[in-house]
Amino acid sequence: MHKANPTIVLFPEASFGAALNCVGIAQALRARGARPVFICHAGFSGVFADYGFQEYQLPTKDPLSASERQSYWQAFVRRHLPHFRLSPADQLETYVAPTWEAIVDTAVSAEAPLRQLLAQLKPDAVVLDNVIMFPAIAASGYPWVRVVSCAETELPDARVPPYLSGLAADDAGRAAFEAHYLAAVAPAHERFNRLRADAGLPPLPKGSFLEVSPDLNLLLTPSIVRRERAAPLDPARFIYLEGCVRSEGPFEVPVFPRNGGPLVYLSFGSLGAMDVGLIERMLTVFDRLPARFLVNVGGLRDAYRAVPDNVHLDAWFPQPSVVGKSDLFIHHGGNNSFCEALRFGVPSLIMPYCWDGHDNAQRAEETGVGRHLSRDGWTEEVLERTILGLLADDAMRARLAENAADMASRPGTEMAAEAILSLLRT
Amino acid sequence: MQAAARRPRTNHLDLAQRILDVARQCGFERGAHLPEQQIASLCNVSRTPVRAALRLLAEQGVVHWEAAAGYSLAIDATAPAAIAAELPASAEDELVEAILRDRSARRLDQTVTVSGLMRRYGAERKTVLKALQRLTEENLLDRAPGQSWLFRRAPDNPEAQGESSEFRLLLEPAAILTPGFRLDGARATALRQGMEALAALPDAAFDIREFQRLDIDFHGMIADGSANRFIADALSDHLRLRRLPGIYVGVNVYRLKQSLREHLAILDHLESLQYEVAADLLRVHLRLSRNQRPQAASRGAPALFGMIVRPG
Repeated sequence: MHKANPTIVLFPEASFGAALNCVGIAQALRARGARPVFICHAGFSGVFADYGFQEYQLPTKDPLSASERQSYWQAFVRRHLPHFRLSPADQLETYVAPTWEAIVDTAVSAEAPLRQLLAQLKPDAVVLDNVIMFPAIAASGYPWVRVVSCAETELPDARVPPYLSGLAADDAGRAAFEAHYLAAVAPAHERFNRLRADAGLPPLPKGSFLEVSPDLNLLLTPSIVRRERAAPLDPARFIYLEGCVRSEGPFEVPVFPRNGGPLVYLSFGSLGAMDVGLIERMLTVFDRLPARFLVNVGGLRDAYRAVPDNVHLDAWFPQPSVVGKSDLFIHHGGNNSFCEALRFGVPSLIMPYCWDGHDNAQRAEETGVGRHLSRDGWTEEVLERTILGLLADDAMRARLAENAADMASRPGTEMAAEAILSLLRT
Repeated sequence: MQAAARRPRTNHLDLAQRILDVARQCGFERGAHLPEQQIASLCNVSRTPVRAALRLLAEQGVVHWEAAAGYSLAIDATAPAAIAAELPASAEDELVEAILRDRSARRLDQTVTVSGLMRRYGAERKTVLKALQRLTEENLLDRAPGQSWLFRRAPDNPEAQGESSEFRLLLEPAAILTPGFRLDGARATALRQGMEALAALPDAAFDIREFQRLDIDFHGMIADGSANRFIADALSDHLRLRRLPGIYVGVNVYRLKQSLREHLAILDHLESLQYEVAADLLRVHLRLSRNQRPQAASRGAPALFGMIVRPG
């Protein structure tokens, strides 16, 4: 017999996208009487409590001082900003491989405390929203749910483009990219398989860091951008969600000194906000366009001067509420942002800098829900033409509005909560 | 700014506000008589400006005038929100607001000049000077060498917000614990009503601007209640910074409602004179409002975090 108030542990990776997807699912679980709690990485403390959820923090061995943190971060940005302007293939050695090394480091350091936490919490199910398996979860024996909150390319298939490639499915360069990818990530992958072996888990095939769950897998892929697969996913274990948009407080559009025209929202996520040079170049173009622009600059407000009168900078926006009032969303192709644009029927202008942003940018073009612009290869005229073109594309807008109504009628958060609770009833 | 001539004079608006503050402090209720001489004496001014300010309040429907009886209050003076909404904005008010908004969005640099502001806002020199004087008096701006002014530091980035939080943790509980603390009963009652009404709204209808007003007024009431004038002044100066645009970031309705409940619990203990408990609860409230939040995090980005201070 199932419990009336099952405890569901949600463990999102240390990124806002995954964290906020899980908040949406947790809100729907709570509304159904479950007790969702979060395991979070050090420093994410407060993100989930802000939405009223109990948090359990993974301990950090050597917390950095404020100045160490600052200099580490500056070094990270200095090192990687140039890489964000490279092609997906050229990022494999410069960004993707080191990133996988960092992700494996996270899994290694989380292993012991995660085992302890799961033993303490004795959850009825664990929801893992990450790109890597934490062996403590697979070895725990609890039912676990995989949330594929990246682009659908995270689950390979012959008719789906390679993960992180930004390619079309039938691109001639596909095989070369796949070989390049496997070679680049091999050292991190071998290290990860050793961690699995230590935990008594079988190794994963080359290039794979996370198996599908034997219990339930949730894909944040709205139907309008979904791909036909050569080997369709088993609907008993794989559920596609129409996004996973959390509920957020209302947003009041600020008064602009030049206060007219459509509303455009620009957010490249917390990491993308570090690319001040790119955003400054874009502001120059925004200044001459007949529109109002909301620009998320994270904690870097002081890096900007003489901001145009039709631009409003801020450190944070309640994104779903803002997107709902916008006519165009310029973003980095993070799957969370992409799904929010679709959910509110807003065209996307995707300027990806890494990871699955490339895949979503390609898919937006293929499916006619937005446009793709590389971060480096644009002129002021191209950016202006692209923005004005998207704002004037009534056919795209009508199609997106129809799709948004369909997505609203099948909220991903509700479907996810239902599927997780059904898993406990079987 | 061209419509400035039709707007009420700033000194009349200020006096009108002072009259209402006095009425509230004296506990005047709706219908209370407002004799010109008594008001003039309470406000330390002559009867002529009082008459002008009362006329202004009558135009806004805040006071009522009858030939036989003179002026009387037409609203409940213990409801500051209602009063604030009734008074029209002066040309300086609007300019001050525009300057602060533009500085927050970094449309204005840290240094501004009178001529630059006149050009930008199409305002007269005297209006710009009055606005700058107001911003200087409120410690938001400093006079710099030459003809320029310099914006002071605002808690609008993670580092400054952390420092602001530390400052408030030191001084706000101390404001309560310093012997002689006195709660303004009428203000507390009005705040309680406002906070309870706001907390009862459904999430979708939650008014963040009203929250901000109540939040600032609640903490301002604690500062004003301190018997130590230096603590009260330091806190009032600092809390003024929280009125600036762009300060309330990273909030969601769940936390805002939680914050209102924390305010109400503190108020319960202040009203029952349990000052030590109230100060402890205030400390907890301020700590909960300054949880660590990620400054930046992403796939592969190092776990680097900064402080974001939520309303509290």
